[in-house]
Amino acid sequence: MLEIKCPVCGVVGEEGDFHGGGQAHITRPATDNPANISDEAQRDYLFMRHNPKGLHFERWRCDRGCGKWFHAARDTVTNEFKAYYSIRELPPVELMKAATGSWAEYFKDKMVTK
Amino acid sequence: MSDPVFRGGLAGAKAIDGSISVSAIDDRGMIDLRGDIKDKKFVAATKKVLGISLPAQPRQSVNKGEVTALWLSPDQWLITCPRAKGAHLANGLQTALAGIHSLAVDVSDARSIIRLEGQGAKEVLMKGAPVDLLASEYTDGYVRRLRFAELAAMIHVVSSDPEIIDLYVFRSYAQYAWDWLAATSTKQSRLSLFANQSIASV
Repeated sequence: MLEIKCPVCGVVGEEGDFHGGGQAHITRPATDNPANISDEAQRDYLFMRHNPKGLHFERWRCDRGCGKWFHAARDTVTNEFKAYYSIRELPPVELMKAATGSWAEYFKDKMVTK
Repeated sequence: MSDPVFRGGLAGAKAIDGSISVSAIDDRGMIDLRGDIKDKKFVAATKKVLGISLPAQPRQSVNKGEVTALWLSPDQWLITCPRAKGAHLANGLQTALAGIHSLAVDVSDARSIIRLEGQGAKEVLMKGAPVDLLASEYTDGYVRRLRFAELAAMIHVVSSDPEIIDLYVFRSYAQYAWDWLAATSTKQSRLSLFANQSIASV
């Protein structure tokens, strides 16, 4: 059983108080005309998911608490939560750098240094 | 035209007197209030109608007289008041909040309230909730939504000494929650596992 902390209301609860919302940072192809979306882009949006061994980024909901969605970075091997961050944000830069495989590919052009 | 007659989810339930006392609260009005706590107009309008400032801190409540505001989420509160005044108060909020991005709805029928009273009330709840209710934050006025007996529920610690806890569950689950509490609050099922360790005479 995982112990999770909601970054919105700060509550610490066990896994059953939360609802896992699957992989984070899925972007719907943007277009004015749906016909312009390629089959490949639509396929990737709907079905293609990262499945890393190690650092993973997920959506969670404080289901039996404040009801808000948030993001979490979790290690799929140790189940350790590395960070919680807002549903509106990308992960902390150090975690984007630590990402491997397809996540590293996804984040490589998203790390903006301030 | 016939007058609507209110019948609570636990109407007629006879209070249980086991290791703790369990009773139904049927005369409480509830208003679901949503809005942006950072919006000064929203804060001012609600304060004017309710006479209290909404709790901005998570899991806190504010009480004055007959009105209590329970924190539900960063933008949501449950206002409780005597049932007869619920509709009036909801109307007052709706009028005062006109033009402000917000929501105030009388939801008095949505939930049922069960009051647990007596030493050991927290331990009875802990049999069905994965939460340490004996932790120091569960003191007077603390509110927490949680999973209780697999239900979406909310507890309001009215008083921690003596222990008085109001358990809010959705109305359709009221009978189940009641039966659950009836079974787990018998004198024979009292736990002495937490807090004050003492060997109970059997």
